[in-house]
Amino acid sequence: MSAAPNIPVLEVDGLVKHFPILGGLLQRRVGAVRAVDGVSFSIAKSETLGLVGESGCGKSTIGKTVLKLIEPTAGRILLGGEDVTKLKPGAMWPHRQRIQTIFQDPYSSMNPRLPAGTIVGEPLENYGITRGAETDERVARLFERVGLRPDAMRKYAHEFSGGQRQRLGIAKALSVNPDLIVADEPVSALDVSVQAQVLNLLIDLQEEYGLAYLFISHDLAVMRHISHRIAVMYLGRIVELATKRTLFTQPLHPYTEALLSAATAPDPKRRRKRKRIVQGDVPSPAKPPPGCHFHTRCPYAMAECKVTAPPLIEVAPGHHVACLRRPVGGDPGPLSVPG
Amino acid sequence: MSAILEVRDLHTQFNTLDGVVRAVDGVSFDVARGETLGIVGESGCGKSVTALSILRLIPPETGRIAQGSIRFEGNELTALSEEAMKSLRGHRISMIFQEPMTSLNPVLTVGTQIAENVVRHMGVPWSAARERAREMLDLVRIADAKRRLDEYPHQLSGGMRQRVMIAMALSCDPQVLIADEPTTALDVTIQAQILDLMIELKEKTGTAIVLITHDLGVVAETTERVVVMYAGRKVEEAPVEALFENPLHPYTRGLMRAIPRLDVEADAAGTRPRLQEIPGLVPILTRPIVGCAFAARCELATDRCRATPPPFVDAGGGHIVACWEVKL
Ligand SMILES: Nc1ncnc2c1ncn2[C@@H]1O[C@H](COP(=O)(O)OP(=O)(O)OP(=O)(O)O)[C@@H](O)[C@H]1O
Ligand SMILES: Nc1ncnc2c1ncn2[C@@H]1O[C@H](COP(=O)(O)OP(=O)(O)OP(=O)(O)O)[C@@H](O)[C@H]1O
Ligand code: SF4
Ligand code: SF4
Ligand SMILES: [Mg+2]
Ligand SMILES: [Mg+2]
Repeated sequence: MSAAPNIPVLEVDGLVKHFPILGGLLQRRVGAVRAVDGVSFSIAKSETLGLVGESGCGKSTIGKTVLKLIEPTAGRILLGGEDVTKLKPGAMWPHRQRIQTIFQDPYSSMNPRLPAGTIVGEPLENYGITRGAETDERVARLFERVGLRPDAMRKYAHEFSGGQRQRLGIAKALSVNPDLIVADEPVSALDVSVQAQVLNLLIDLQEEYGLAYLFISHDLAVMRHISHRIAVMYLGRIVELATKRTLFTQPLHPYTEALLSAATAPDPKRRRKRKRIVQGDVPSPAKPPPGCHFHTRCPYAMAECKVTAPPLIEVAPGHHVACLRRPVGGDPGPLSVPG
Repeated sequence: MSAILEVRDLHTQFNTLDGVVRAVDGVSFDVARGETLGIVGESGCGKSVTALSILRLIPPETGRIAQGSIRFEGNELTALSEEAMKSLRGHRISMIFQEPMTSLNPVLTVGTQIAENVVRHMGVPWSAARERAREMLDLVRIADAKRRLDEYPHQLSGGMRQRVMIAMALSCDPQVLIADEPTTALDVTIQAQILDLMIELKEKTGTAIVLITHDLGVVAETTERVVVMYAGRKVEEAPVEALFENPLHPYTRGLMRAIPRLDVEADAAGTRPRLQEIPGLVPILTRPIVGCAFAARCELATDRCRATPPPFVDAGGGHIVACWEVKL
């Protein structure tokens, strides 16, 4: 199944996910974690959209909602132009194979008692795409494609190294020819040399099959390597969305600027007295600050930032920013610290 | 530079069902007063075990320092009584562990934990120790330190817990601070704050830091000298600039080429440069390694490499490397 050329593989519109906080003796709802708080984006065929942001900002929750592993509180999810938000599990079933996932730790999602070949072939059998010997044949080819020897099909998950397990996860996700793969921190647990193997493989597969990726990571260098466009999140909201080049060369949101300035570079010559752009901790998503969520740490905050939540607007073609000090067509230069 | 800590030919081993794991297999290095030494290498190469060996925290039921010497201010730590070790730990040599929740006591307030450490090692009255604890929280820039003293670890964010660990580790003015992946569990902006803080405190107090990490970006930005480990052995050691500018060991070179870099752009057509992979797997540590530990993955490997471990050669300026094929 493949989406029509101009229709995005995935479109997310105004997505909201709140988790209830229960408290007291009766475990009544006493509040909500606003894990995702009105997020919109789309991903085209052959495109990688990176989702970056600090721990707890809602990246995985977006991934899980898009995969329909959890129900959104509000908003719409469209797969290849079709609204699947309200579909019940039965009706969702045929759509599931269009969108697959790879996890940070594939081991925890693999049955330790099944041979690797069976694990990878599971979706093929489940969707009735192939049976028996035909499945084995297909799985053997998938193993080869991700750089594993087909005779490894008989081995069990614990007999593989971290990078090899991640390849198994990729082979399994690929097996049903998806349009989109949600990859949630797929290389975060891997050493750099193994990480390189997996990133190279993901890029090759994208070029070969026109796959779209929703790629979640907190590593900016990995992001820059693999993404075409990048969405930066802070406390449940997208604060900036732009092409990779624009985001890295002309970040407009103060939080993006802070993230980039905080990233370490593998080059001692560029060792610098860090510009301390932000201080302090990330506030709790159960009690996000009013107005602009970033105002408690933003060096450029004005009085209005404490009351008005800035919408995400397209300030230049393809460049979306949610900051009161970054209006449409505004000066992209550095902001001044209010005196 | 005089060395405050000298590790010589350290061998640390564990008995497991699969046999003896040679986790650290003959590692030597010095830590000079007031310097920051980085230890890098792939997961499982023996970084944490090296740190735990120095502090004599290897679980005695399964593990042991089989050979080698660890001298701290001239005293041989491997021969010290457990009592004497206890008075060194958390005082003269202290450690920050990767996961602060496992080393903070969940039922004691952070103020009590820091103050107890101070009372134990400095023999000052409780009120002075409490005051010291408050000072330390100020020092690691925990806002509202007075109130935080009476909070429990679970009431703090991950970044704050990590700062409490640093405060505790520095509360008795250690000569050496061993930090094992101190920022891996943290977010980028918080990580930057913690690294800044460690360096700043080091400059203030003159504490030497041993920074263990597999993040080469962190190493480049914070250390002065680096030890590269592979499969329980040291393969290269150099001043940080020399290591990044001119890595000599094939393994170090491989690592450097495998890092995705923020400063390398895709070309105009958007083609992303391929990352270099290091093919193959790390050796199994229960089997004795004959020759060079990297030989099975090294494209330069010769029969000599497979038969005889390479000795260190001196590239000058404190840069040494263990490889037969490095031509100087
Ligand atoms: N099932 C749940 N019940 C209650 N709260 C949840 C649940 N899942 C996530 N949350 C909360 O929602 C917020 C967003 O979590 P999420 O896992 O999406 O973050 P993330 O951006 O993926 O973070 P990380 O980088 O640490 O993986 C967090 O505050 C988290 O504690
Ligand atoms: N208690 C133990 N019993 C048996 N083997 C152990 C024990 N502790 C460590 N090892 C083994 O010793 C080797 C070195 O482990 P160590 O924890 O020092 O690695 P590391 O370099 O710190 O890796 P990482 O980057 O993953 O933290 C590994 O092969 C590990 O499995
Ligand atoms: S809206 Fe105000 S507080 Fe928010 S990022 Fe912009 S300047 Fe900072
Ligand atoms: S000694 Fe031989 S095998 Fe080892 S790193 Fe050097 S060239 Fe490679
Ligand atoms: Mg997550
Ligand atoms: Mg370790």
